[in-house]
Amino acid sequence: MVLEEEVQIPLDRNTVFQALNDPEVLKQSIPGCEELKQITDTELEATVVIKFGPVKASFNSNVEVDPSQGPELFKLTGKGDAGVAGFVSGGADVHLDENDAGTLLRYVVNIDISGKLAQVGGRLIESTSKRIAKKFFANFEEVLLKRQT
Amino acid sequence: MSATAESVQERRAALKGLGTSRKRVEDARFTQGKGNYVDDIKLPDMLFGDFVRSQHAHARVKSIDTSAAMELPGVIAVLTAKDLEPLNLHWMPTLAGDKQMVLADGKVLFQGQEIAFVIAEDRYIAADAVDLVKVEFEELPVLVDPFKAELPDAPILREDIADEKEGAHGARRHPNHIFTWEQGDKAATETVIGEADVVAEEMVYYHRTHPCPMETCGSVASMDKVNGKLTLWGTFQAPHVVRTVASLLSGIAEHNIRVVSPDIGGGFGNKVGVYPGYVCSIVASIVTGKPVKWVEDRMENLSATAFARDYWMQGKIAATKEGKITGLWCHTTADHGAFDACADPTKYPAGFMNICTGSYDIPTAYLAVDGIYTNKAPGGVAYRCSFRVTEAAYFIERMIEVLAIKLNMDAAELRAKNFIRKDQFPYQSALGWEYDSGDYHTAWDKALESVGYSKLREEQSQRVEDFKAGKTRKLMGIGLCHFTEIVGAGPVKNCDILGMGMFDSCEIRIHPTGSALARLGTISQGQGHATTFAQILATEIGISADDITIEEGDTDTAPYGLGTYGSRSTPVAGAATAMAGRKIRAKAQMIAAYLLEVHDNDIEWEVDRFVVKGAPEKFKTMKEIAYASYNQAIPGVEPGLEAVSYYDPPNMTYPFGAYVCVMDVDVDTGVSDIRQFYALDDCGTRINPMIIEGQVHGGLTEALAIALGQEIAYDELGNVKTGTLMDFFIPTSWETPNYQTDFTETPSPHHPIGAKGVGESPNVGGVPAFSNAINDAFRAFGLTHTHMPHDHWRIWKTANELGLHAES
Repeated sequence: MVLEEEVQIPLDRNTVFQALNDPEVLKQSIPGCEELKQITDTELEATVVIKFGPVKASFNSNVEVDPSQGPELFKLTGKGDAGVAGFVSGGADVHLDENDAGTLLRYVVNIDISGKLAQVGGRLIESTSKRIAKKFFANFEEVLLKRQT
Repeated sequence: MSATAESVQERRAALKGLGTSRKRVEDARFTQGKGNYVDDIKLPDMLFGDFVRSQHAHARVKSIDTSAAMELPGVIAVLTAKDLEPLNLHWMPTLAGDKQMVLADGKVLFQGQEIAFVIAEDRYIAADAVDLVKVEFEELPVLVDPFKAELPDAPILREDIADEKEGAHGARRHPNHIFTWEQGDKAATETVIGEADVVAEEMVYYHRTHPCPMETCGSVASMDKVNGKLTLWGTFQAPHVVRTVASLLSGIAEHNIRVVSPDIGGGFGNKVGVYPGYVCSIVASIVTGKPVKWVEDRMENLSATAFARDYWMQGKIAATKEGKITGLWCHTTADHGAFDACADPTKYPAGFMNICTGSYDIPTAYLAVDGIYTNKAPGGVAYRCSFRVTEAAYFIERMIEVLAIKLNMDAAELRAKNFIRKDQFPYQSALGWEYDSGDYHTAWDKALESVGYSKLREEQSQRVEDFKAGKTRKLMGIGLCHFTEIVGAGPVKNCDILGMGMFDSCEIRIHPTGSALARLGTISQGQGHATTFAQILATEIGISADDITIEEGDTDTAPYGLGTYGSRSTPVAGAATAMAGRKIRAKAQMIAAYLLEVHDNDIEWEVDRFVVKGAPEKFKTMKEIAYASYNQAIPGVEPGLEAVSYYDPPNMTYPFGAYVCVMDVDVDTGVSDIRQFYALDDCGTRINPMIIEGQVHGGLTEALAIALGQEIAYDELGNVKTGTLMDFFIPTSWETPNYQTDFTETPSPHHPIGAKGVGESPNVGGVPAFSNAINDAFRAFGLTHTHMPHDHWRIWKTANELGLHAES
């Protein structure tokens, strides 16, 4: 499954890019994030609870971020294991473009989903994933704006 | 004289024997919710098992951590392959000569595969503990497309047999290849096709689906450690086979195993196979010394127990310009999933797919089937059909339609031109079968006349004109089908499963007061055996069906038999019942002659009694004979009135039918509306017309499901996309049309009462009729063939691809 979306944030690109690399900001922004630990500069471990329709899954996730092409491009790949509920793997490319209104984030997310989630949630996964992505950036913006004040 | 004739009729009617629409005796308990199913079995101290299953379609299992699960209060044990290995039960043989993992041994090969078996005090604790078992996987590339199985970059699925060049059914050319099965004359068929006036070619896909019985599979195992006896209740379509297999696998002597199939809530082939749950419940009971129940849920049933179909059938059909078929060629790619667990007679790895010449006199034919491993659930069972007969019927009935298009000929006329004629029976088919009997032209003419076929075609032509003129957006399809089944496996000389010959049996005891108990080697899953077998016997021995109890399914009491599937109960066990009844009658004749003080030859059978020839007032009823048999010393005759018959049929039976489906198809929404469905079935002698009608309604509804939406679909990662009834189509009364049933009666010449079996005919014939109607609706717009299932989206897509949505 591929999700493509864009979101405008009224802050400058460097601030936004830095925030994407800040575990504390990520923890507050990721919907259902219960725990997030930084293992190395580029490796994170997170526990995220997500509801796909009737299935509530707690993902133990390993995420690797790649800020090397910043601040124009932020990349991440990751895997999330929810035990018998299923398994998610994928990655995201977030392009950051400066404009008059701040920064335009364009993201392309690739997700493969296995297990019960894919079976029961098949028809719900795309809409749920879109909702989670939207929620993430809404939270992200809120956290950043709060910091500015 | 007329008074006597009337009383004979009255006495015959009182028997409620053959031909009577007797109400089902089973329904008294079913309609009151008093059935006794596996999940109703509750034993003291019973434990519950539940599976940890694979979320991946192909992965190595690097570790299994059961410690957190074991800490949960109420969890007794967690079994993994390591625990089963010392017992040599971590793998088990399949019915098709392959082997299958009971619990994942190092890797998993399909989503939903069994990895660990949690045993707990109740099923909720077991389910919670399943979530606590941690399995570490290493994902492997997934193979879901059988046509990619032998490409150089294809992952090797079955590493356990990767190097074996010979399988259970001959040579294997690749680690992902299971067998090649060839029938008929390849060279001659290719010559005929090369020289034919007309050749039609098509790839006909019969998609993967699932029998989805209302009751899922399950078992309760109870090992009595004091007397060493194992009792196993389960949803088994073949309880005696399960006993033998359980004995061979576990090493427990067969007399110490009792297998019981209680009431079964539908089988449709799904309950023929042996599943890891059965093995694990047995092991768990042996380990714990307590009864252990395992019952799968709906998702487990749909994604892990036996599927049906999944045949890609490439066909070529050759004919003269006038439409006389000269040859048929078929190559099938059969997707068997991760283990070859097809339930077919051993010598027939593709079942009776070689019935694919159908109802037609096709002089030359060739069939090859390649079985392929993929990362999907194992199975390949006969879902409400005899072994692969639905696939064969769908193939030929689609090929006939495709040929009719190529010849620009009416499809009904093309069929009639090529039917095997009545005088050709017994008919030897090009692919090796001897059709026992048939009268196809009579059935076909009756069907076409009943529906007013030529008028329907006129209406259809008018509809096409109206559509082109913009007056309507609905097209009309006429789906024709004339199918021939092959059921009642089978002669032991060519049909066995795991070496067990496919005979069947009946044992009868007549009680002193003239009622009776008959036990059979089959097991009803809703077919109404307790009703119909009593009717067969009533006519044979002159005791009312109401006074005959039929028992099946308990291996401690029932005679050995191969079970119920492939419409074999009536052809095989029904024959055994009649034959055992005749043994009863033969002994009764000796007793009656003694009582009447005449020679055996001087009396004759009349409905329910032996009558002295020429002296109708002198007779002995079966009731009187039964009493005498137990209570009167008769010289040279043993006391009692009992008989057993183990029946090995000389041939299979060949039921047939003519179906017509009339449909309206909305081009813009893809919605299909069945206007009329006419089903003429010829199942030989009709035992209970009401039950036949019920069977036809049920089978047609399952056919409707398959043709119009039901499928087990996988995504490219091997996820089952249709694992719940939200996505897996089961028709309700909303989708189900009225059916119009009809019959002709061509008795089987070799069956003792001429019966042929009917339960599966409507599924075999129904699917092509529904599918042909959809295809036919678009024939005028250039469509030759479109794949099932014909759900609304696919119909819309077909219309779209034909340009029918273009702005006019």
